[in-house]
Amino acid sequence: MRFLKFVAGLAIAALLHFAGARLIPNFSQAVDLFLLVVALEARHGSPMAGMFAGLAAGLLADGLSGGPFGLYGFANTAVGFGIARAAQQLVVQRTTGLAGVFAAGAAAQQAILATLALVFRDHAELPDPLWLLVKVGTTALLGLAWTAAANQLTHRLRFWRAHRATKIQFPG
Amino acid sequence: MNPSRVRLLFAALLVGQLFLLAAQEPDRGGAASLLEGAALRSLGPLARAVDASSHALASARQGLRRRGELATENRALRQEVLELRRRELRMAGLEQEIAGLSKTLAFSRRHAAAFRIAEVVHADYSSWLRSFVLYVGAGAAHRNQAVLSDEGLVGRVIRVSGAYAKVQLLTDRAASAGVQLQRSRRQGVVRGSSAGELLLDFIPLQAEVEVGEAVLTAGIDGVYPRGIRVGVVISVEPGNEVFHRIVVEPAVDFSRLSFVYLLEGELVPSALLSEGDHAVP
Repeated sequence: MRFLKFVAGLAIAALLHFAGARLIPNFSQAVDLFLLVVALEARHGSPMAGMFAGLAAGLLADGLSGGPFGLYGFANTAVGFGIARAAQQLVVQRTTGLAGVFAAGAAAQQAILATLALVFRDHAELPDPLWLLVKVGTTALLGLAWTAAANQLTHRLRFWRAHRATKIQFPG
Repeated sequence: MNPSRVRLLFAALLVGQLFLLAAQEPDRGGAASLLEGAALRSLGPLARAVDASSHALASARQGLRRRGELATENRALRQEVLELRRRELRMAGLEQEIAGLSKTLAFSRRHAAAFRIAEVVHADYSSWLRSFVLYVGAGAAHRNQAVLSDEGLVGRVIRVSGAYAKVQLLTDRAASAGVQLQRSRRQGVVRGSSAGELLLDFIPLQAEVEVGEAVLTAGIDGVYPRGIRVGVVISVEPGNEVFHRIVVEPAVDFSRLSFVYLLEGELVPSALLSEGDHAVP
C-alpha cells in the first residue's frame, strides 16, 4: 500500500512539476517536488524505503535535467537514507522540528548536487544562494502543509468511523 | 533487513551511481543510456500531455475572450497569406535567377537549410543546468543538431531518446558557440553564464565594439551555420590586457518558447570532424 502511495505521489509530483514549469519559468529552481516525495516517504523511518524512494525519484528527475545522468539519483538516495535514519533516531513531532527535517534534506540535496556538479561537469558553478534559500524554504513549507493536511484527514476519518450515526446491523 | 546490510546496500548504491556518473565521460555520442532513455521516454509523454492541456486551456480561454476579434483577425490573416504567397512566387523567381547566374559564374553555394519543427515539452532552469526537453516526432534528432527559434539561436541537441531530445540552451554554463560581431566582423566565442546572459570572449582590445551591436553565429564551430542571430551587446569593458569583457543579451526569450526549429543536415560532414573539432563542448 505504501509503495503504491509512493508511486502515486511520484506521478502527481511529475504532473505538478510539468504544470508548474509551464506556468512559472523559475518553478524548478524554487521547488523540488520529487525531493518532497522522497522526504515524505523517508520520514516514516525506514532507511531501505528512503534510499530506494530517493533513487527512483532522483533518476526520474535526472531524466528531465540537462546534467549528467545520476546527479539527482545520487543526491536523493543520500537524502532519503539520511532523513530515514534521522527519523529512526529522533521523534520529531513539533512543527519546527518537522520543518527542520525537510529544510535540512533540501539543503543537503543542494550541497551534494553542487559538489557532484563541480566534479562531473565542465564549467560548473555553485547554485544561486537566493534560489537555494527559496528551495529550502518551499520544501519545508510544502512538507509541513502536506503533513498537516494528511494528519487532519486521518484524524477526521478516525472520528467519523468512531462516531458515525448508522451502524451496520447484521441479523442474528 | 539487518541494519548493517542496509548500510552496505546504501554504500553500494552510491558507489554504483558514482560509476554511472563517471562512465558518462567521454560522451556517448548523444544516445541516452538505458536508464536515462527510460526516464525520458516515460516522463516525456506526461510532459507533453500537461503541455498540450495547458495550451488547450489557454487557447480556449483566449478564444472565449476574443471571439469578436477572431473574425477580423482571420480576414487580416487571409490577406497576409495571399501577400506571402505572392512574395513566395517572386522569391522563387529570384532564386531561379540566382541559381542561373551562379551556374554561369560556376559558383557553388551551400544548399539552403531545411528546418523541422519541434515542440518544447519541458524547460529546466535550475541554477546550473539549463535545458529543454523536445518532442521531435517520428524523425529522430541527432546530437549537436542546431536548435533555433524565429528570434535566433536556442542551443543544440545533447541527448536523444526515441521521439524526445534534450537541448542544451545557449545560456547553460557549459555551452558555447563561435560568433562574429555584425559590424566589425570580429570573431569570438560566446558562452553561457549563471545570470542568463552570454559572455563574448576573445575579442581583442583594439577592436571597436559598440553597445547595441548585433552578434551572429560565425559558422566556424561545425555546429551552427553562419548568420543566425545570437544576441545584442549590452556592455563592453576592458577585461584583461588582451581581450574585451563583453556581455551579450540573448536574442531569444527562452521562457516563452513553445516551438523551436531543428536544423536538418550536416554543416560539415561528420567524417571530417573528430570530437575535438567542435568548438561547442
